[in-house]
Amino acid sequence: MFNKEIEKILPLVQKPARYTGGELNSIIKDKNAVKLRYAFCFPDSYEIGMSHLGIKILYDCANARDDVWCERVFAPWHDMEALMRERNLPLYALESGDPIKEFDLIGFTLMYELCYTNVLNMLDLAGLPIRAADRTDLTPIVIGGGACVCNAEPMAEFFDLLCLGEGEEVFDEVFDLLETAKAEGWSKKKFLQAAAQIEGIYVPALYDVTYHNDGTVAAVTPHDGAPEKVKKLVISDLDRVRYPEKFIVPFIEVVHDRVTHEIMRGCIRGCRFCQAGFLYRPIREKSPDTINDQCKRLCDVTGYDEISLSSLSTSDYTQLETLLDKLLEWTIPEKINIALPSLRVDNFSDSLMEKLNKVRRSGLTFAPEAGTQRLRDAINKNVTEEEVLRTSRKAFAGGWTAVKLYFMLGLPTETLDDVAGIADLGQLVVNEFYRNPDKPKGKGVTVSISVASFVPKPFTPFQWEPQDTREMLLEKQAHLLSNIHTKKINASFHKVDISFLEGVFARGDRRLSKVIEYAWAHGCKFDGWDDSFHFDTWMESFSACGVDPLFYTSRRRSFDEVLPWDHLDYGIRKEFLIREAKKAYESKTTPHCRIHCAGCGADRLNGGKCDAHA
Amino acid sequence: MRTLRVWFQKRGPIRYISHLDLMRTMTRAIRRSGIPLWYTEGFNPHPYMTFALPLSLGMESLCESMDIRIEDDTGEAQILSALQSAMPAGIEITAVKVPVLDPKFIAFAAFDVVFEDVRDSDDFYDKANALLHRDSLVVQKLGKKGHKKVMKDVDLLEHLQSFSLTKDGELLRLQLVLPAGSTTNVNPALLCDELLKLTDGALYRITRTALYTKDMELFA
Ligand code: SF4
Repeated sequence: MFNKEIEKILPLVQKPARYTGGELNSIIKDKNAVKLRYAFCFPDSYEIGMSHLGIKILYDCANARDDVWCERVFAPWHDMEALMRERNLPLYALESGDPIKEFDLIGFTLMYELCYTNVLNMLDLAGLPIRAADRTDLTPIVIGGGACVCNAEPMAEFFDLLCLGEGEEVFDEVFDLLETAKAEGWSKKKFLQAAAQIEGIYVPALYDVTYHNDGTVAAVTPHDGAPEKVKKLVISDLDRVRYPEKFIVPFIEVVHDRVTHEIMRGCIRGCRFCQAGFLYRPIREKSPDTINDQCKRLCDVTGYDEISLSSLSTSDYTQLETLLDKLLEWTIPEKINIALPSLRVDNFSDSLMEKLNKVRRSGLTFAPEAGTQRLRDAINKNVTEEEVLRTSRKAFAGGWTAVKLYFMLGLPTETLDDVAGIADLGQLVVNEFYRNPDKPKGKGVTVSISVASFVPKPFTPFQWEPQDTREMLLEKQAHLLSNIHTKKINASFHKVDISFLEGVFARGDRRLSKVIEYAWAHGCKFDGWDDSFHFDTWMESFSACGVDPLFYTSRRRSFDEVLPWDHLDYGIRKEFLIREAKKAYESKTTPHCRIHCAGCGADRLNGGKCDAHA
Repeated sequence: MRTLRVWFQKRGPIRYISHLDLMRTMTRAIRRSGIPLWYTEGFNPHPYMTFALPLSLGMESLCESMDIRIEDDTGEAQILSALQSAMPAGIEITAVKVPVLDPKFIAFAAFDVVFEDVRDSDDFYDKANALLHRDSLVVQKLGKKGHKKVMKDVDLLEHLQSFSLTKDGELLRLQLVLPAGSTTNVNPALLCDELLKLTDGALYRITRTALYTKDMELFA
């Protein structure tokens, strides 16, 4: 709910339902009957935030406790923010309409680097100091979670706590500790020191970072009893962990508006550029029965007519056909579609193809990522040209006329030949269409090539690699375009400026905090949105703060350099990453985890268990 | 298969959802209710559902209706309770009946407007009264010319069928009837926005209370 002052500005903004709450299955509690009030913030628009599965899971977990009321907060769009500031209306939580400044805990999901300025903006809009050190009271405690936490050093000055890994379980301990701290009137310092003892909780203020003269990190030293290494906490059995029985059903259209189900965590593939593939290890599968029951219940309580089975590589889920059989039994009569994103091309069996024909016929997408076999081997993307063509052939015979191919530019060891190879592969797919005798009559084919820029990320074998400069990337884009000779292929590129900034923060350190603060103070927010992205302001911020962004992106790090995230332990061994990096230089592949365990080390977090090895 | 008219109210925060959002919300609610909805045949089957007259975003209503088709002869009372239990907060099902009139006969709508947080209510009352008694009040309104959207002049008072302005303590209440339906439609917010200019810091809430035919017969 919202107050009357908000009601006065709602008629003046676009999509006011972003700010009203009241959606089906949103949770209202008596604020006097709970011990902790938790504002769960997503530093992006309502439509993006409400599409995110993690927020639904954690909202449910937190609210499962009678003593906690968890509410949602999204970044108000520009028009709303301007009116809120003009009228001095503080940021409020959607369920109660209460200012989040009064809450005990404020959590942010950090899914991508370009949301960082929004975090600052939301804290400021709440009426709170943005720097952790300036928030001296015990509450609110500001905590961050999500993929970026594996190196949120650039945000270290703003957060009190960062939660590594899988929040479903860590948060319970944080809630308990904060309740005790409140009841016993602890100082913030005492609370932070105690929180640092929780497995999976990182307290940046308890670590001192020193630097060498060349700017690299000399050491990260814990104090006040904080552990040398903060370990990610993993959930060992996905069948037993709580999964929401209800999803909030937004009134307005959001990006992913459907039942989403995570069928497994981790990825067996080991593509060397993919951070998620390493961060979410070890491999854990959920059973088809659990998934089927949970999907059924969620469809019943939401009324959604689409289910999306999500994971990093859905066709690697060992019981996919069994699962589809179970689901199709009731989804067909109930007219519910099943979407399967992240399908790989190589294990696309005929019977799977047949089942897929029963589910929604969405676009056909492949992610070869690189244009030549040599480079695909170097990045360990085990997809061959033959596989792409064979699957395209089958798909064309099945009536598909559009194919989307995902690639990256700027991969380590890439040459201009590899770049031209992207156009060649697109051409071969086009040729395959015209070679097909059963092709749909009177229809042409469209091959869309979507090209991202590679950004090296922590906890991958490429964490030491230089990132291509903007100039190099633009040159490669032009080279790619000059090699496309048909109108059947259309290519689109990610903005290189955005990738550049993402690269700076992905492998950045604490010295970037002041740059983020400067950029935010000079108007940067919603940086992930093309229209809101102000590259010049960012470049001006770097120079005003005396920070060279190329130090973070273009430099080749040596294997023995202390990395800003070395004190965080995601299970993955550094020796494994170095081994993988060296194999990449020789374009040697590593077989996937079900063929052979490569000894990444992630299973150590799970008592040696990993669903991909015996 | 038979057609039923579901009457409902839309009140509270849910008034901020658009007509398109409402259609999606209703489709899902009907799915949750489990009532035997009739689906169109063909490649992409969808339920039959039509609304009598879209409600503007931001307004509450006591008199919304949508026609649905169901497959069997489940009783109206049973449908009403199944639907009600599946509705999100703010939607209240008031009746499920066999339709009497085609929505194309809707010609007028009655609204109830409340002004709150008015700084000086006596002054506002006088000024509002004077404004409503003028000969004309021309404002710009977004309209269509062929396929293009253009600004058009409308005289709000010319369209105003009847009104009553009353003052109850600090609250000001305006009841009015305006053309609505497929031929002419005048949004009461246009008039309320003009009235709001006579004071500051205030807000208004509009509720659609009834729909009528051209002979002022209640739409049913
Ligand atoms: S432990 Fe072995 S099988 Fe499991 S993810 Fe790591 S490399 Fe793969």
